[in-house]
Amino acid sequence: MGQVYRTLLGSHDGYASAYVARIAWQMDEQRRLVLEAVRDLSAAELEWQPAPGMNTIGMLLAHIAYAENHMVAVGIEGHPSSDTKRVIGLSEEDEGMPLKPGDPPAPALAGKELAFYEDALARARAHTHAALERLTDDDLTRVIVRGGGRREFDVGWMLYHLLEHEAGHRGQIQVLKHLMRATRG
Amino acid sequence: MPTETIAPAQGIPCRDAALFVAQLDRLTSSLWEDVSDATPEELAWQPAPGMNTMGMLLAHIAIVEVYWIDRGVRAVEPVDIMAVLGIGMDDDGIPLRGDGPPPATLNGKDIGFYDELLVKARAHTHQVSAQVNDADMEREFERKSRSWPGSRTSNVRWVYYHMLEHLAGHYGQVLMLRHMYRAQVGARG
Repeated sequence: MGQVYRTLLGSHDGYASAYVARIAWQMDEQRRLVLEAVRDLSAAELEWQPAPGMNTIGMLLAHIAYAENHMVAVGIEGHPSSDTKRVIGLSEEDEGMPLKPGDPPAPALAGKELAFYEDALARARAHTHAALERLTDDDLTRVIVRGGGRREFDVGWMLYHLLEHEAGHRGQIQVLKHLMRATRG
Repeated sequence: MPTETIAPAQGIPCRDAALFVAQLDRLTSSLWEDVSDATPEELAWQPAPGMNTMGMLLAHIAIVEVYWIDRGVRAVEPVDIMAVLGIGMDDDGIPLRGDGPPPATLNGKDIGFYDELLVKARAHTHQVSAQVNDADMEREFERKSRSWPGSRTSNVRWVYYHMLEHLAGHYGQVLMLRHMYRAQVGARG
């Protein structure tokens, strides 16, 4: 008899909201898949650029960490701004996105090994768990106003966005890996 | 400006299923805004031999959504993709073998063709999800795949999550292909 694998949607203990606890599980499952996709990549592969002006895998990993930490700070905790440099060791300038046409990869990420990105991602996720654990179901409809009223969303939407944002960039990492193999051999 | 929110999809009594379907609808709306002006040439463009095109990805999104709704939520086997979409399970050409070209089934298709696939798939999702109750979300089922040995047990709640992250991942790839197409082909055009 062959092995039976179980892929059931799980949850986390200690959360104020069962809904948020399941979202956190989904985010962690997505992170597991991201890290699995980049396992064993060298520093050179992480900064490989298919063409000037295009993102590298390293930039996408840095962006996932930066964006998560920023979005949780302003879009869930409701702070007017984030302090990502202190929390995860990366600023928006460091991750370098969006590149302008013809630009090389982000200079702040030159030569960085996978462990650098894993550390930033882990620090971002630890902060996220701490913020999400406290959320109640009532918090899901709390409205956040950004940009002087130019953008409004509620916390429930931000949780959705956090998940689809990381999944989207994971898809792009897979394309970059495929393209790297196709063009570099 | 309206507030961005995720309200349960109408007509689906199970709140958790309705929230997943609302997220699928929201994400597909964004996807459509980003691809609706793509030409047949761009939809069939391959960045390198053996790599997926935008058209293949859009067809794949629709096929996979119908597969999971029927196999996981309706517990149907075998799944009849053709009956819902008018194309078969393998007509997206994914995965391409080696350095293969895009599948002939998608030759010359315009964005209206892919829009119709996505609309049909989502209408099917709404229709089936309207019958789902809270207990169904925890129902487990076993499946086998051509890709790996043994079998896999999943539950309906995981199916909805997987459809969402699957759509999001391929949406990210579609955006990347558009960027690459504009940088490489657009610059020559």
